[in-house]
Amino acid sequence: MPQFFSNKRLIILLASIIVLVAMIGFSMKDRKELSWPEQFLKDTVGISQSLFYKPANSIAGFFENLSEMKNMYSENKKLKSKLDEYAELSVSVQDLKQKNRSLKGQLEKEADLTEYQVKEATVIGRSPDRWNKFIFVNQGYKDGVKTDMAVVSPQGFIGKVTRVAAFHSTVQLISDNDQNNQISAIVEGNKRIFGTIEGYDSKKQSLLFKEIPINAAIKKGQKVISSGLGEAFPRGLLIGTVTDIKADETDHTKIAYVKPAADLYDLSHVTILERSMQQLDKNEFKAKEEE
Amino acid sequence: MSRILLPFITYIAFLAESTVMQVLAPEHYGWDFLMIPHFAMVLIILMSCYLKPSFGIVYGLIFGLFADLIYTDLIGVYMFSTALVAYFIAVLSRYLFSNFFVTILLSVLGVAGLEFLVYGLNSLIGIADVKMADFFYDRLLPTLILNAVFTIIVFYPFAKLLRKIEG
Repeated sequence: MPQFFSNKRLIILLASIIVLVAMIGFSMKDRKELSWPEQFLKDTVGISQSLFYKPANSIAGFFENLSEMKNMYSENKKLKSKLDEYAELSVSVQDLKQKNRSLKGQLEKEADLTEYQVKEATVIGRSPDRWNKFIFVNQGYKDGVKTDMAVVSPQGFIGKVTRVAAFHSTVQLISDNDQNNQISAIVEGNKRIFGTIEGYDSKKQSLLFKEIPINAAIKKGQKVISSGLGEAFPRGLLIGTVTDIKADETDHTKIAYVKPAADLYDLSHVTILERSMQQLDKNEFKAKEEE
Repeated sequence: MSRILLPFITYIAFLAESTVMQVLAPEHYGWDFLMIPHFAMVLIILMSCYLKPSFGIVYGLIFGLFADLIYTDLIGVYMFSTALVAYFIAVLSRYLFSNFFVTILLSVLGVAGLEFLVYGLNSLIGIADVKMADFFYDRLLPTLILNAVFTIIVFYPFAKLLRKIEG
């Protein structure tokens, strides 16, 4: 039996375990901003990541295109038939938009929860260990990105910005199991059904939609969207569809399994959304309360 | 020259984990097992086998810290695990012959050790909520295969570089 630890080394090991616990404790605090060495490291690694990710992605995309060419003909046919519907739809959308604007004008309301500005970003990497579900994008605070902004892909909502450096930032996907990763959501078409998206079932590949009232009439196939309340997200971002419902044993609520609308693995370009309606500043809020 | 090359190659391997390997990840093709690349760890294990123990530990601390700061939200988990695995491999390799098969075996052992340490620490904190059996079949076995293949590919060129550094 080889001697793994002499007495001196045992002390070093114990000391490093203490340091480990201290560091984990420090980083579990809810930090909003990165310190400058972290930002510097993030940007340096970000630059070299984009050197690697883009060519790799384009090569993989090329082979994907090759395999997709096989069923191009049938797809084309389908798309052509969809195109007619699209023309019809876009006319009615324009119509609705105009109506919406004029009605808002009558109400003298400048901004509401659904409005936002967009920033395009390219994905440059992804956390390799699947315990943490982060992606890295090439937009930082120099581009106007702030923490807690919503991030969407063309198919739907994917997550929020958690760490921002000067030119790069980290996006926490909705499937991340962090306790702080909660998004308040509603069922589309029925404003009464509120809940929060928290946690992910990796076996079912579904998000957990929790804290739904027990008497809520939630059904399979309904769409779940962001509520826009409490967070810096706009309202109405598509999160996913309900696939299964069960009762929560611990408290008197229901849990719904929600299949995410966006493919959380195949991400190359994402959009960061900034809600137009500003959240109240804390000082402002106090001032208003005092009035 | 080869002394500068060593951190550079390790950095490339570290980057490949989050970029090139993510494009090729099995989830893209709808398979439900996970292949986690630990390329920097493999190179650090090879360093521990062929160079002084302090090399492996220092590289383990630095690249572990990088992984913590960039790929995860918690500082310390990878830093501690990578350095500890590097130390154990350095001690073990003193008692074994250093040939091709033993090195592959040590590399598999080291990656398994890292996976178990990180799984344990993350379960303790509450980030990992996977059952042991699922962890073993869906994650650990494919991960070990991927990293063993990587070890076989880099073994000869990298061992040559390490011998040059040793002098």
